Amino acid sequence: MQNKYIFNLFFLIGILLTLPAQAQKRHTISGTVRDGATGETLIGASVRIQGNAGQSVTITNSYGFYSLTQPDGEYDLVVTYTGYQTYTKKVSLAASSTINIELTAGSELQEVVISASDRKNENVRSPQMGLDKLNMKDLDNVPVIFGEKDVLKTIQLLPGVKSGGEGTTGFFVRGGAADQNLILLDEATVYNSSHLLGFFSTFNADAIKDVSLYKGGMPSQYGGRLSSVLDVKMQDGNNKEFGFEGGIGLIASRIKAEGPLVKNRGSFMFSARRTYIDLLLQASPDSAVKGNKLNFYDINAKLNYKFDDKNTIYLSGYFGRDNIGIKNLFENNWGNTTATIRLNHVFNSRLFSNTSFIYNKYNYAVSLLDEDNNINVTSLIRDFNLKQDFQYFSDKHILRFGFQGTHHRIAPSDITTSGKSSFNPLTIENRYGIETALYLSDEWKVSDQLHFLYGARLSGFSLLGPGTFDTYNAEGEVTSSKTYNSGQFVKSYFYLEPRFSASYSLNDENSIKASYNRNTQNIHILSNANTSSPTDQYVMSSNNIKPEIGDQVAMGYFKNAKDNTFEFSAEVYYKWLQNQIEYKNGAELIANANVESELLYGTGRAYGLELYAKKTKGRLTGWISYTLSRTERKFDELNGGNYFAARQDRTHDVALVGIFNLNKRWSFSANYIYNTGNAVTYPAGKYNLGGLTTYYYTERNANRMPHTTRLDISATLKGKETKKFKSSWSFSLYNALNRHNPYAIQFRDKKDDPSRTEAVQIALFGIIPSVTWNFKF
Amino acid sequence: MAGSGLLFTSCEKVIDVDIKEPPNQLVIEGNITDVSGTQTIKLSQSVPYTDTNIYPPVSGAVVTVSDDTGNTWTFTETEPGQYTFGPLQGVAGRKYTMTVTLDNKTYTATSIMPQAVPVDSLSITKISFGSTEIKTVAVHYTDPAGIANQYRYVMRINGVLTKRIYASNDRLQDGKPIKEQLFYGRDDDNKELESGDVVEVEMQGIDMPVFKYWFTLSQQTQRGPGGGVTPGNPPSNISGGVLGYFSAHTTQIESITVD
Repeated sequence: MQNKYIFNLFFLIGILLTLPAQAQKRHTISGTVRDGATGETLIGASVRIQGNAGQSVTITNSYGFYSLTQPDGEYDLVVTYTGYQTYTKKVSLAASSTINIELTAGSELQEVVISASDRKNENVRSPQMGLDKLNMKDLDNVPVIFGEKDVLKTIQLLPGVKSGGEGTTGFFVRGGAADQNLILLDEATVYNSSHLLGFFSTFNADAIKDVSLYKGGMPSQYGGRLSSVLDVKMQDGNNKEFGFEGGIGLIASRIKAEGPLVKNRGSFMFSARRTYIDLLLQASPDSAVKGNKLNFYDINAKLNYKFDDKNTIYLSGYFGRDNIGIKNLFENNWGNTTATIRLNHVFNSRLFSNTSFIYNKYNYAVSLLDEDNNINVTSLIRDFNLKQDFQYFSDKHILRFGFQGTHHRIAPSDITTSGKSSFNPLTIENRYGIETALYLSDEWKVSDQLHFLYGARLSGFSLLGPGTFDTYNAEGEVTSSKTYNSGQFVKSYFYLEPRFSASYSLNDENSIKASYNRNTQNIHILSNANTSSPTDQYVMSSNNIKPEIGDQVAMGYFKNAKDNTFEFSAEVYYKWLQNQIEYKNGAELIANANVESELLYGTGRAYGLELYAKKTKGRLTGWISYTLSRTERKFDELNGGNYFAARQDRTHDVALVGIFNLNKRWSFSANYIYNTGNAVTYPAGKYNLGGLTTYYYTERNANRMPHTTRLDISATLKGKETKKFKSSWSFSLYNALNRHNPYAIQFRDKKDDPSRTEAVQIALFGIIPSVTWNFKF
Repeated sequence: MAGSGLLFTSCEKVIDVDIKEPPNQLVIEGNITDVSGTQTIKLSQSVPYTDTNIYPPVSGAVVTVSDDTGNTWTFTETEPGQYTFGPLQGVAGRKYTMTVTLDNKTYTATSIMPQAVPVDSLSITKISFGSTEIKTVAVHYTDPAGIANQYRYVMRINGVLTKRIYASNDRLQDGKPIKEQLFYGRDDDNKELESGDVVEVEMQGIDMPVFKYWFTLSQQTQRGPGGGVTPGNPPSNISGGVLGYFSAHTTQIESITVD
């Protein structure tokens, strides 16, 4: 079965590779597009050639590479990219050639353009649906909490993306769960993307070059999660001159250094930030406060070196850690580590290859420090990855194919104790697994109007020994138990995941699109609470847990107006989810070898409408997004077997973002959000249990928290600019209207009248002002 | 997370909630203890959330308890909704079966009384939390090795029942000397512990189903809807679709005065 698919896949690749050979007298121009000042490769720049014999247009790939093939003749080569001056060159095509291009940044009066569709009407023409690209320049202007610009917070202002609410980590895409997002940083999986319990993301905006979020229509090179792919790429670093930049804020500071290793050939980038709330605590004369910890830091580093036009190596890494602790009571730390080695190789002007070796790890430690009850619990998930990706460019097709292999290790819990602790040391068996994938996709320009992006991904997962594997029945009792040796296969799953997207352009500025895709998922988070936390437990698919399966269909209408000044899109989607996981009431998830006996399996469905209108040019830019959606789950054992709303089910989500450039020095921005409250379970009745008021529940998640609205505003003042030095002040007010948005609802006996009960809404934040000073030299 | 308390000051507001009124449900609360005396099984009804906390007793039921050695005791209704038998002393290791018949419906439950684990002592621990000092009561005992034990603690401060539910097991602490700290605070509608307060702690040895019942409840009371686990009715060990539990447990009460 599996071999047949693989055979077919390669047979197809073989046919498609031979196609261009039959064409006559055609040659290829290829090369890399870079920023002329920094040497940074430009992702998604538009490259067009036009002449008497024909015309063709493409966009640069993740490494700035492009390839265009046309019949021999005279052409104009035109390269455009947002914020840069247009590059043009006369090209005489008689043989295949390499043309590397450096673009010059736009004029003094740089207009703020917030569109990432750098090729005119690319958003309309491309068959890709459900893709949101974030312009890093936007981040500077969108106000966020504590003034720290943040990729994840800004993404939550887009349609179809929901935050878990204040004080929670994770985000939800099109009704999926928080663990159904694949979050990649230079291709390495980031398992926990938040700092400080969700108030900051692990992505330091200084070090980030490009952010793409796929909510649907995932191209086949991505897989392993049901809901979305957040693909974050780090900057390469300036390969022409040294530079420093940074920022000093109220609770965190950042510094970045970059420069050439060898001029025009290689560069480095190093970026770090740290919060210092607890440094203030250290300064406190109160010795009880002094020992408390509350901080995070992270470091991004990258090196690249171009051996020649055909070979480039990239090394990148991330390390981040959060620490919280109360003196003599408890400590908790957690963080991600990633390392990526990538080799670009241009086989010929049409065949681009990238090979990646990736390591990533997420781990945490929790310690109770009381002498009598001391305990230290550690846990980790670690992956080794190999990815081989090819891109083949022909006239009407861009083929993408390759394979991926990942080795997972999960160490669920390791307990150590010391002295007279009341806890026993315990190690829960490690779990090992291998994920594999073969994929092929083809972006096919059938005609000027009709484009397809289609392909398939064959994904495999195997759970490996060593270890003892119990199988449980619905009651959670062990029905069989088997011990496996190292490397033995415990259970394997294979799925073929079809991916298909099509766009049909009605004219240059209007198109309709449709897509279908299937995704499967083999890494699952078990969380004891509604909100995700640093100590969430990871499990793999197993003899008990089947891979999660998600199928999504989507349709959309895309329109641009007034020379791309306005972009509009409307998308509808419907999603079917299988093998969803919940835990039983009263489940004990931490340090439990039998955790799989505590689980329930069910299905889900999610559907919605997303409207998005964006103004991309002029002094006033910004967007409005609106999402109307529903997401439900169904488990035999819960809610009488009926569908119930998932916690993140929110009927309406509205976000407005506005950025206004007053003059060269001042710019202002504001965002406003409104959303329906999360679905929650309120008590329907109450009863007496040994003198305590105890609540009686009927339907699961049938109630709503009050809605959330929030207005954030910010102002940026640019300092006097010199050739060598730039600086700016940014002032912001989070929750400017000081509205107390609901975090939780508590039910309790009234304090002044214990014969009655009351519902109490708890809010975390009022208004939060902040100021940050940024500099660059 | 305790750490978040350092950074965020939460703010409370009483809100109106719109709740569908369900029909009243039968609640059975059955306890058999290892202390010789009157054993009580209570029958009452739940009321809609919006009503006052007055729970109608349920009269006219036939209530019996039997054990696995052939004894059967018929309880009599001594007060409305209170069915008692005494003196009766539960014996460790025995399986007790409660049968309640009401309006031609029968509800049954079984519970095994565990071996008693004696409480050594209570102590007061002082914990610095920021610049404030919090006092907590701890229960000391030695968990018997090699068998699964579950415990429930009921705490009264100056005679007033605290509103937090405490349940623990020896899953990670088998055979160890235990110092079980009974954390509680303002969230539980109680004042903090002060010098001179008299704290009374009852430790119960409970079986696994009863532990699941109390443990589920204890998880839900931490932070209502939105902030904690999705609340639901705890898994009852009584068949027939009622609220409540039947628990054959050991019990020991100790008290301490806060210094």
